Amino acid sequence: MEISHLSLSEIPAGKKARIHRLLSKPDVSHRLRELGFLENAVVRCVVNGEGNLIFEVCNTRIGLNHSVAQTIKVSRFE
Amino acid sequence: MLRDRLHSQKQIRHQHRSRTRAMFHEQAAPSTRYIAIIGNPNAGKTALFNALTGLRQKVANYPGVTVEKKEGKVIFGDGSSATLLDLPGTYSLTAHSPDEKIATDVLFGKATHTPRPDFVVCVVDASNLERNLYLVSQIIDHRTPLIIALNMIDVAEKSGMAVNPQRLSDELGVHVVATVANKGIGVHELKEAMHAPVTASPKARQWSLPKLVKEECDELQTILQDAHHLSEADSFHEAIQLLTSSSVLNSHNDRYAPEVLEHVKKDHERLDSFGIDRQSVFVESRYEWIKHVCEVSRKIKQQAEETTSDKIDKVLTHKVFGFVFFIALMAMMFQAIFSWANTPMNWIGDGITALGAQITTVMQPGDLRDLIVNGALAGVGAVVTFLPQIFFLFLFLGMLEDTGYMARAAFIMDRMMSKVGLHGKSFIPMLSSFACAIPGIMATRTIESRKDRLVTMLVSPLVSCSARLPVYALMIAAFIPQQKVLGVFSLPGLTLVSMYLLGLAAALTFAWLFKKTLLKGETPAFIMELPPYKLPSFKSVIMHTWERSYLFLQRAGTFILGVSIVLWFLATYPKITNATPAEQLQQSFAGQAGHLIEPVIKPLGFNWKIGIGLIGSILQREVFVSTMGTIYNIKDAKTGMANLSLREKMHNDADPHTGMPTFTILTAICLMVYYVLAMQCMSTVAVMHRETNGWKWPLFQIAYMTLLAYTGTFIVYRIGLLLMT
Repeated sequence: MEISHLSLSEIPAGKKARIHRLLSKPDVSHRLRELGFLENAVVRCVVNGEGNLIFEVCNTRIGLNHSVAQTIKVSRFE
Repeated sequence: MLRDRLHSQKQIRHQHRSRTRAMFHEQAAPSTRYIAIIGNPNAGKTALFNALTGLRQKVANYPGVTVEKKEGKVIFGDGSSATLLDLPGTYSLTAHSPDEKIATDVLFGKATHTPRPDFVVCVVDASNLERNLYLVSQIIDHRTPLIIALNMIDVAEKSGMAVNPQRLSDELGVHVVATVANKGIGVHELKEAMHAPVTASPKARQWSLPKLVKEECDELQTILQDAHHLSEADSFHEAIQLLTSSSVLNSHNDRYAPEVLEHVKKDHERLDSFGIDRQSVFVESRYEWIKHVCEVSRKIKQQAEETTSDKIDKVLTHKVFGFVFFIALMAMMFQAIFSWANTPMNWIGDGITALGAQITTVMQPGDLRDLIVNGALAGVGAVVTFLPQIFFLFLFLGMLEDTGYMARAAFIMDRMMSKVGLHGKSFIPMLSSFACAIPGIMATRTIESRKDRLVTMLVSPLVSCSARLPVYALMIAAFIPQQKVLGVFSLPGLTLVSMYLLGLAAALTFAWLFKKTLLKGETPAFIMELPPYKLPSFKSVIMHTWERSYLFLQRAGTFILGVSIVLWFLATYPKITNATPAEQLQQSFAGQAGHLIEPVIKPLGFNWKIGIGLIGSILQREVFVSTMGTIYNIKDAKTGMANLSLREKMHNDADPHTGMPTFTILTAICLMVYYVLAMQCMSTVAVMHRETNGWKWPLFQIAYMTLLAYTGTFIVYRIGLLLMT
């Protein structure tokens, strides 16, 4: 079951999400895609505190700040 | 499992060798080939470079841009050799930062000062195959001859993945060698593969674009080839760039022929009208193919969910615990530097004193003996004494880097850095600046935004570097009493930490100020890879530490030696007959210069003797210590105090007329504050000049830092005077 219209920053630690759209500026989106945050990819949240977040994507851990994570639109992936 | 992998690797090697032999009729490899090593950051590129070259390395800069260029020599089994170039880590050939641009330019043969490599060794992290193959696919597109070092197969194995090098090799049409660089596994095989002639992958571009995009891309490629005489590979790279970006049209009008730009415009309109995301289509298509390659060549046995690294990160990147841990770690580091280094420092100090005494007894009295003992030896000795502290500082920083904690420091500090408008990545140059501002300024090359990079470069020299450490250490040892604070911390240790914190605070404040005024811009997005934690490799940390300590010694043996001799001369001449040593120093050239600037530095609580030190250390901070060493040795050589340590001599020094001591606790603190904030480093100025391509920013930097140092010290001195009365 997929709940749409979430942003990546709302995914709690340990949960997975499927990426729908990147709404950040073109160069930021390009870098995110190159690192594996591309449409339809499934990522897992490792740390979601109040500050920065850590996600697992292609077996690597990538740190993102809150504002970047907010521009990544996702759905829950169970 | 690993053995099977290595065995199959041997088979590939044999097949490959027989194939290439057949192709080249046993042709011997050319003697000096130029090979570049490329790969994603954290893929183990440097470890592999070290394993391949051993200690046959030299570090230089790319002319014009100060990005470190590391070259080494690989010696093959038959005694022939090749030059190996370590390129900066990059995720793709679409350059985002100056660092990545170097890698791309060298690979494309566009770098003017570096030859185009004959072939590249691409280091691929086996545990992170998808993202690493992204770069590989770009290199294959470019038809660059390539060998893949499939590195960290042990890590992949541990996280439940088995990558088959044979399958990968078949898919890519490229020779693949499995390695574990930090354990030396597969290095021999890789060398052999490198020794054989290397060709481009016979399987050219295998990923495919959606039909519509492909049509546009093909057309544009043909136009580019005609208009700019580009090769197939180059035109493909350019076509992707042009189709992806919209800013290219505005900013590179002069770079492309009008018919190219015309076509690009039409392409953009057409693709946009079909609702195709030009940004994502190329990346997605590549990843589509990568997915296929991974499915064929990799078996996932079990999906490791939460790794040990993740568990550690839950604590160490926590917004409260993580920060507390970071501060505690820093405090411990500086405390340790100060206390551990003490014993070896005493040995060196005693050794130098003994050497001086030995020379004094052996040589005839005279100017030459004075020059050697009181000029050269006292000056150089005063600085060399601090080698243990420098060693420990670099050792700690090297360990932070090697364990993977450095990236976490950037991650944690991003919150703080974003408050001053900078990226967490800007914290790494600052952390490196604790060792030296020069690698710090060079580390800014990973920062993508030009303005942010400039701000970071401007403030990095405010962070206390290792050259300040001798000054702090001398002042603290001589004037700060050994007392316990709160039962655990020592007052000298705390003073040292406060100096470091003052520098850091000044750097952050000025970063904020510059971001608000001179170099306005929004806070950049934080996207950063956090490599898994690992035990530091003892060998590489020691090698790095040794390299840096050696550079420090080299400076002491050349630059500081020269300055010490000049200073001895200035402090000894003109000779006055029948003068007391104190009067002699006062009348000397150095004394006169000190007196000349005394009115300017008097408001800071500094007298003419400190003035000599300040002038002497304009080019390099630690010269202050050697200057004090030289002038106190000259002065005291004749008064029977020669065998006292420098700190004791400074402690006892007083004005012969007024009886006022030259140094008090307040002077010592003021002097330290001055050195925290002042530029006093010619090498930094030179690096700034090269990095920013001009004199504007280095001059601005000298001006603002000098003004800051003067004002800061003045305020501290005045407050101190008030408190003391």
